[in-house]
Amino acid sequence: MAISLATNAATDALALNRAPTSVGAQEVHKWMQDFNWDFKNNRTKYPTKYLMANDTKEQFKLIAKEYARMESVKDERQFGSLQDALTRMNAGNRVAPKWGETMKVVSNFLEVGEYNAIAASAMLWDSASAPEQKNGYLGQCMDEIRHTHQCGYVNYYFAKYFHDPAGHTDARRVRTLGPLWKGMKRVFADGFISGDAVECSINLQLVGEACFTNPLIVAVTEWASANGDEVTPTVFLSIETDELRHMANGYQTVVSIAHDPAAAKYLNTDLNNAFWTQQKYFTPVLGMLFEYGSKFKVEPWVKTWNRWVYEDWGGIWIGRLGKYGVQSPASLKDAKKDAYWAHHDLFLLAYAVWPTGFFRLALPSKEDADWFEANYPGWYDHYGKIYEEWRARGCEDPSSGFIPLQWFVENNHEIYIDRVSQVPFCPSLTKGASSLRIHEYNGKKHAFSDEWGERMWLSEPERYECQNVFEQYAGRELSEVIAELWGVRSDGVTLIGQPHVTKEGKLWTLDDIKRANCVFKDPLA
Amino acid sequence: MSLLEERKRGLTDPEMAAKIMAEIPDQPLDTQRKMGYYVQPRGKRLTEYEIMTCYTQPTPDWISGGLDWGDWTQKFHGGRSSWGNETTEMLSSDWHEHRDPAGRWHPVYVKAKGEDWRVLQRFMETFSAEGALRTIDPVWRDEILPKHLGALGYSEYGLFNAHSSVLRDCTGDTLRSTFAFAAFDKVDNSQMTQLVRTFITKIMPGYDDSPAIGKKEWTQGAAYKSARETVESMWQDTYDWNEVMFATHMIYDPLFGQLVRREFFQRLSPAYGDSLTPFVLAGMQTYFQTTKAAMADIYHHCLDNDKNYGGFNRRWMHVWMEKWLPSTVAAMAEFMSIYATLPTRDGFTDKASIAASVNRVVEDWIVDYANKIDYKVDQSAMVATILAGLK
Ligand SMILES: [Fe+2]
Ligand SMILES: [Fe+2]
Repeated sequence: MAISLATNAATDALALNRAPTSVGAQEVHKWMQDFNWDFKNNRTKYPTKYLMANDTKEQFKLIAKEYARMESVKDERQFGSLQDALTRMNAGNRVAPKWGETMKVVSNFLEVGEYNAIAASAMLWDSASAPEQKNGYLGQCMDEIRHTHQCGYVNYYFAKYFHDPAGHTDARRVRTLGPLWKGMKRVFADGFISGDAVECSINLQLVGEACFTNPLIVAVTEWASANGDEVTPTVFLSIETDELRHMANGYQTVVSIAHDPAAAKYLNTDLNNAFWTQQKYFTPVLGMLFEYGSKFKVEPWVKTWNRWVYEDWGGIWIGRLGKYGVQSPASLKDAKKDAYWAHHDLFLLAYAVWPTGFFRLALPSKEDADWFEANYPGWYDHYGKIYEEWRARGCEDPSSGFIPLQWFVENNHEIYIDRVSQVPFCPSLTKGASSLRIHEYNGKKHAFSDEWGERMWLSEPERYECQNVFEQYAGRELSEVIAELWGVRSDGVTLIGQPHVTKEGKLWTLDDIKRANCVFKDPLA
Repeated sequence: MSLLEERKRGLTDPEMAAKIMAEIPDQPLDTQRKMGYYVQPRGKRLTEYEIMTCYTQPTPDWISGGLDWGDWTQKFHGGRSSWGNETTEMLSSDWHEHRDPAGRWHPVYVKAKGEDWRVLQRFMETFSAEGALRTIDPVWRDEILPKHLGALGYSEYGLFNAHSSVLRDCTGDTLRSTFAFAAFDKVDNSQMTQLVRTFITKIMPGYDDSPAIGKKEWTQGAAYKSARETVESMWQDTYDWNEVMFATHMIYDPLFGQLVRREFFQRLSPAYGDSLTPFVLAGMQTYFQTTKAAMADIYHHCLDNDKNYGGFNRRWMHVWMEKWLPSTVAAMAEFMSIYATLPTRDGFTDKASIAASVNRVVEDWIVDYANKIDYKVDQSAMVATILAGLK
């Protein structure tokens, strides 16, 4: 602009306008899309087979300072509740013991998802070309740092106040011991950050966040509250306020690639793989944590699953993306079958290897058993009887020397781990849909429990090479492995994991485990 | 949420609460209540920042300092690792060693920036009510700010984008949050250069606040050719995340960034009656100092002093100096051409003042960055090269 013009304008305006004025975030944001410039090598470091459009907009139009202000207001509320009212009510201790144990896993495993989502959103920020789209991913990147710290804070809070702090204090170190951890990494860590950038976005935003965030974050707060835990809802509902932005990002990812012919070719396959990847772990694990990790029940997992995963996500959310050619995943049907029994199958195995946990587990009580049978007719004949047998053999009592893992060996029930999902399964005992397939490749054997994962491995075996706990620990005695991977409490001998949560029950030590003489064996060897 | 409201809560429903209480043992089952008790604190005791941040990165032990074992459960197409040692030339005995001296975890960080925003909004209301815009020199306001504060915005925006792959690839959690906060400050800075001009438009309708003017300078102006190419190269040509951060925060930003922000805008604004720009830039300088301390911890305290690999790392840092310093110095020399377009002000735009200002930047950098890793620089030669750009 010519100086004289501007100067005239200034003189005129200043004579008139001395009202207190400031600038809102939107007024700055409206220029955002012009912040980019073109240059020769302006391309992403994380190639994708899709093409992200240059003009993609974001839905939450924030600038950095406004983001910070909004989040700090939420923080004030959250930390205020935790540090003031809830602490004075001793709310961190007045939690049903089983649930306080469940939160050791839930909060720490969710933290891993949040942490990896930082890197995942950063990858998307790198691969998007539109500044607004980059800004949306950046906002998420910051949110995920927030959520990482919030999840950590839940464990931190319980470590201070819950009657069993072990596991809350050291989940980040001891979590690698048990068989649930690697599967967790597949869905919530590597699945978000290792692959085609858009494929990762589908895993993280379109499935992880849009589909499983509801059961994971919202349902957890309901189960928590029923079981006396008001700490978790205080934090998790605050996390949830940011998740809308992330689901919007996932939506925008699809919008940004919709016009690319590659989208028609690959999108539904990638979505199907992502859905199967996420559901394969979350369907059984969440159901197990809720139903077996609580005293007071909210509703059968299968109902929650049908409402949120099948109807809301598979129907409504995916339906909204229909105009971009997105279809409900073909594997949704199979997943629906699994949502009924898979978590019951998994708990059987999880309990059998309780010494490798960083939480205490409990056999279903009489009350629990009645609830299971009422909601899952046939439960008692398949599972209930086994638990009765274990209980009768003294599986809760250290002097019995009986660890249920031995029962599997005695009865020739071989436990395998699916190479792709890393989820353990027992083909001879499963009531869910799992079935055993074994492949050999480069002199190594690989087990699989379903067709969808098997297909992923068959087309790209180099992506799924991770050894599982049985291969890693093969030939080693259980107490040795526990000691090496920090599975003991501050006295150096008592296990963090225990097979009961009763006041009267004795706690198991390394010596008790050693007496049982459990030696790991690789079923594929 | 509806369920939550309808349902009885275990904490407040007397019957449920009684059942829960009956199950709670009289004594805690463990005496260790400190989360992260196994984390090595930097200071005397573990801070909340350390507790929340340390070991959130789930790397296996073959990436130094990791607590996990084994392989990645899913890899990139073709089999590349989720995270790996091959993503940087630097070696570390423990990628979890770094600590941000400011102890920032998310709530600490957003609280400070949220406060900055509130203060800035109150300042703008006061500035406009005072009619303080009247004192700004019209050439400074209508030529220099749109072009060069605009161009600075692009430099900051490019640096911001240089962080995306770093946040994807870096192998430590304390590193990741430090780099994320540095990135966020950079995008904030670019937005604030826009805010200054948008604010002027609001109180002086007709003023053009479009970024197009600055963008033209940045992409086509001779004053920014080397700066732009350096930023583009850090952003998109460089894959080693430590090299990107070293080039950005240990070379380019403390030299070119400081020259433009502190020694051009901060120093000259008062001479042109501008009290708006320095106020906004003061925020950027706070961020610069915080980032500087954090980066010094990474590159000096940790990597240069690493008990096993310090010498090796230092040699690489010297290589990166050789690689990135010349283009940064060229960028500074080219920037000197802008002085000729300014209305002259004694004590500000004369050659001696400019030389003194360049000397401050170079000297600060040599003392705080080059000397720390024993990298030899001829200060007067470097200053002379830069000043040769004066027209
Ligand atoms: Fe999150
Ligand atoms: Fe998220």
